[in-house]
Amino acid sequence: MVSKRQRGLFYIVFILLGGLFLLQGCGEESQHRFIQKSAFKGKNDIVITFAAPVDETWAKDKSNYRVYEKPDPDIRLEISSISLSPDKRTVVLHFDEELNQNQPHVVTIKNIRSQGKNLGTAVVRVKKLYLGFLFSIFIGAMLIHNFVFTKYLGLCVFFGTSQKKSTAVGMGVTFTIVMVVSAMMSWLLYQFVLKPYHLDYLQIIVFIGLVSLSVQAVDTILRKINPMLFKAFGVYLVLVIANCIILAVPLILADNEYNAAESFMLALGAGLGFLVALFLMSSVRERLELANVPPTYRGLPIAFVVAGLFALAFLGFSGMSIF
Amino acid sequence: MDPTLVKMALGGLALLGCIGLFFGIGLALAAHKFAVEVNPKVEEVKEVLAGAQ
Repeated sequence: MVSKRQRGLFYIVFILLGGLFLLQGCGEESQHRFIQKSAFKGKNDIVITFAAPVDETWAKDKSNYRVYEKPDPDIRLEISSISLSPDKRTVVLHFDEELNQNQPHVVTIKNIRSQGKNLGTAVVRVKKLYLGFLFSIFIGAMLIHNFVFTKYLGLCVFFGTSQKKSTAVGMGVTFTIVMVVSAMMSWLLYQFVLKPYHLDYLQIIVFIGLVSLSVQAVDTILRKINPMLFKAFGVYLVLVIANCIILAVPLILADNEYNAAESFMLALGAGLGFLVALFLMSSVRERLELANVPPTYRGLPIAFVVAGLFALAFLGFSGMSIF
Repeated sequence: MDPTLVKMALGGLALLGCIGLFFGIGLALAAHKFAVEVNPKVEEVKEVLAGAQ
């Protein structure tokens, strides 16, 4: 009973952490109260919705708008035309060049005029839907770029623990926990220690140390709170140290300069992707035990063949993009 | 040798040493807190038994 409760506790902590990061990632900066909505539309348009009808002559004047990408305020984007909706509340700024929607854009709107009154200047940030971006990182790590089936990482543990469904799921869950813990720690260490002190070249060594640290911690804690699961993992828990996925994720994080929420999503996606891979593989291998496999192929060889077929199936996801 | 480079290297050494020490102490504390009592007789019996390897 105790072990079940402890495991429940683990999950709760997990979900809370996730919620926290999502909240932090999605905190919108305060905007002018007269502006209701701002968003990208299509590839070339920015749509701004006001709370009340605005004056047409003001709205159509290009000199009232200034648009730039947030990282380089000096490069103004040229507005080619402006259209106002019939209810005079929605302005569409049209650009000749395609907008780089991966960067947030800043739109400065000067002296907003509505019903003869001057409502002052507003600075609006236009961002791609952030939750959607996080979700696409998550799904990307889990399915589209599944670490086992499309990057062929972590195969040792993958073949070692996928013989029985229960072991596979247990391994997947532990792996996810270790992955998230170690990825968040290495993100912190990279962003706040390695980068400021110009020690980036030591990242691999530091990440290896962190991974073995978190594996050792999980090993110590699990031995006490859930000896059954600990026994079921046997040598494979220690093998997590030598798993390349767990080292690949911090390196990808460091490479892409992800923030906390994005790192969390990538780590979670990678962990759950491994869990999915293990679960699929173990369900097939349980059936393979009963199948009439030629003696030369029995055991590991047929498992490799099945993994290859899975990889082919996962190839179907490649090139997909969400949002 | 460029003194800034030497400074950087020594700084890195000290910094990583501190991090290692910090986590080492953390692990030691965890091991202490989550210690599993093992019957000392298990070790004794294992000592006496003939080991193939």
